Amino acid sequence: MAPPQPQQVNLSPAELSFLRSTLCQAPPVRFDHTKGPKDFRSMRAEYDVLPGANGSARVALEDGTEALVGVKAEVETSQWRPSPDARGSALAPDAEMRDAADDEDAKGKGQNSWIEMSVEIPGFRDDDSLPVFLASMLTESLLASGGLKDRLYINTRFHWKLYIDILLLSPPLSYPLALLSMTTHLALLTSRLPALKSEKDEDPLFDDDWDAAVFLYPKSKASASDDKPPVIVLAMGVGPNIIFDPCMEELAVADSVLAIACANATASSTRARIVSVRTIDPPSHLTPPGVPNSMNSATGGTVPASSAEALTQRELLANSGVWTPPRGGMKRGLISQVVKMVVEEGGVAEEVISALQAIELG
Amino acid sequence: MAANTDRRRINAPSGGTSAPVFAKPVKEYGYLQSLRPNRTRGPDELRKTFLQTGVVPSASGSAYLEVPTTTTSSQPSLIPPTSSLKIAASIQGPKPLPRSAPFSPTLVLTTTVKFAPFATRYRRGYIRDSAERDLGVHLETALRGVIIGERWPKSGVEVVITILEGDEDTWWGDSKAEGGAGSGWGLLNVLAGCITVASAAIMDAGIDCVDMVAGGVAAITGDGQKVLDPCPAEHQDIVAACAVGYLASRDEITELWLKGEVGADPDTLIEGATHAAMGSVSVLREVLLENIETKTKAAKEGSKRKLEDVEMTG
Repeated sequence: MAPPQPQQVNLSPAELSFLRSTLCQAPPVRFDHTKGPKDFRSMRAEYDVLPGANGSARVALEDGTEALVGVKAEVETSQWRPSPDARGSALAPDAEMRDAADDEDAKGKGQNSWIEMSVEIPGFRDDDSLPVFLASMLTESLLASGGLKDRLYINTRFHWKLYIDILLLSPPLSYPLALLSMTTHLALLTSRLPALKSEKDEDPLFDDDWDAAVFLYPKSKASASDDKPPVIVLAMGVGPNIIFDPCMEELAVADSVLAIACANATASSTRARIVSVRTIDPPSHLTPPGVPNSMNSATGGTVPASSAEALTQRELLANSGVWTPPRGGMKRGLISQVVKMVVEEGGVAEEVISALQAIELG
Repeated sequence: MAANTDRRRINAPSGGTSAPVFAKPVKEYGYLQSLRPNRTRGPDELRKTFLQTGVVPSASGSAYLEVPTTTTSSQPSLIPPTSSLKIAASIQGPKPLPRSAPFSPTLVLTTTVKFAPFATRYRRGYIRDSAERDLGVHLETALRGVIIGERWPKSGVEVVITILEGDEDTWWGDSKAEGGAGSGWGLLNVLAGCITVASAAIMDAGIDCVDMVAGGVAAITGDGQKVLDPCPAEHQDIVAACAVGYLASRDEITELWLKGEVGADPDTLIEGATHAAMGSVSVLREVLLENIETKTKAAKEGSKRKLEDVEMTG
C-alpha cells in the first residue's frame, strides 16, 4: 500500500489561481467568505472527558476534525546524580541557609525528560515525519518556560512524570497543529495532581481526596497573570496578506506558513510572550503548475519546440495569473508583522488564550 | 520505544559509553569550573568554516562541512573543551521515480539526517530517533522553498546528511549534561550546518534553485546579550536561540526555528541569525566559484583527452 499522502489537495491550477487572487485582495476574501483574516474557525470544546486521566480535553472544529488529549502523571524515582556544584556548596558556610529554602527549591531542577508526548494521527505511523514534527513542536513550546517542569519536582528522589497523549480522531483534513495545541492547552489547564502530604525528602504520600488536588497550572484569584500553557497559532502569508488559522484549501495556495507558540502575558510584561516559532512547508509547493493557452496546442497555442524554450516561456508567465507553485521563503518584514499581530495587546494570542480560559470557567 | 530498537545487530549499551567524568575531581572545589571554556571570540564573530564540494564521486552532488573547535590548547582533563561540527552531505538524483510511486507534478524531495553513532557524547542508534527525523523535516522545509521543483515532474531527489560530529547541548563537565535529554541548543547549530552543507551539495549537483540558502544561528544569553554562532559549551545560560535558512539575494527566510523565552520581540534574534547566515553565504560563494573552476578545468582536460584518444585509435 502506498504511504498516505499528507494534505493532498485535489484542486486544479485554475482553481488554485482563483483562490490565490481572492486571498490577495485587500481586504482578503477567504474560502469561508464570512470570516476576516484574523478569524478562527468555530469549535466545540469540553474538558474532563476521561475519568481515568489527570486532565483531558476534546475539541472539534467545524470542518469535522476532532482531537482528544489525555494527561496522565506518574510518580517516578529520580536518578541520583552526583552534582559537584551542590556538594561543593554544601561544604560552603551557607549550607544551612540552603536547607531552609523551601518553595524556591524546585526552581531549575526540572528536567526535559519528565514530559513525554505522543501524537497519534490516523493513517500515519508514529515515526512518520508529521507526527514527529508536531510532537517536537508541542513539547518544545511546553518546555520553553521552565515553570511546568519545575512543578513536577517532588523531592530529590522522586518526581512526577507527565505523559501527554494526543489523539487526532479524524483524518488530518487541514494542518492539525493549531487544533492539537489548543486541545493540549485545555487539557493541561484543567489537569490536577494529588496534593502532597509528606514533607521534604520523605517517600511521597498523597492526599487521597481528589477535591484537594492541586492544579498543574496553579490558579490565583487575580487570574489574569497566572502561568498558563502555551498555545500555537498558525499563520500564513499570501501575497501581501496575513491570514490566521487557514483551512486546507487556503493552505494549498500559501506562500509561507508560520507556527507561533505563545504564552500569556505575565505580571512583568503586558504583552504575550513568544516561546517558539517554526516555519512549516506549505503544501502549495507540491501543486501542479498550470499550462497557459499560449503553450497548449489544444487551445490554439503552440507547444514550445525544446524544453529550454518551454522553461523560458514559463518564467515569463510570472504575473500572468497562470498558476505556478510559489518559490522562495518569507520576507523578514512579513515575519515581524505576523509576530506583532500575535503578541500585541488584544492580539490573536490573547484572544485565543482568553477564549480557552472562558471554556473552563463557563 | 522498545519497538524501535535495532535487533539485527549487537548493540552497544543503551546508556552510552563515554570517558568518565568524576563527580568531584581530586582537586579542590572550583577546579572543574576553572576548566570551563569561555568565548574568546567577539559576540558577532563567527567560527571558522571549512566547506568542500565533490567529496563523494558516486553521488551527483556532495559536500563536506567542518566547524572546528575554537580552543586548541592541550587540556589537563578528559573533558573536551568545546565540541565541533562535521557534516557530510550527498545528493542522489534527480532521478525518475519508481514505477510503483504515484504521479507527482513536482520534484519529490527526501531528506535524511542521521547522526553517526559516535557523533555525540551519548551514542545514537542506527535507527533514526525523533530528533533526527525532526531535523530532517526542518531541512526539507529549508530546501523546498529554494529548489524549483516544477521543472522535474515525476522525479525524485534524495538529500542524505550524515553528521560525523555534532555540537553538544552543554559543556561535558556540567552536571546537567548527564541527563542525555539536553536542552537542544546544539541541534540548532547542527541544523544551520546541515542547511549550508546541503545547499553546497545541491549546487554541486546542479539542481535549479532560486538562490543559495545558508544557515545561521544566533542566541540570547542570560544577561540579555545577543551572540552570533553560539557554541553551547561556551555559554552556560542560553535563554533563547534561533536558526534560519536565509536567501541572501532575495532577503527571504525559508526556514525559521526559534525556541526559548524570547519575550515579545524576536526580531533582533532573527536579524542576528540572518547576519550569521551572511557569513555562511560568503563561504558558499567562494566554494561555488571554486567548484565551477574545477569543473570547467576538468571539462577542458576531458575533451583534450578525448581528442588524443581519437588520434591513438586513428
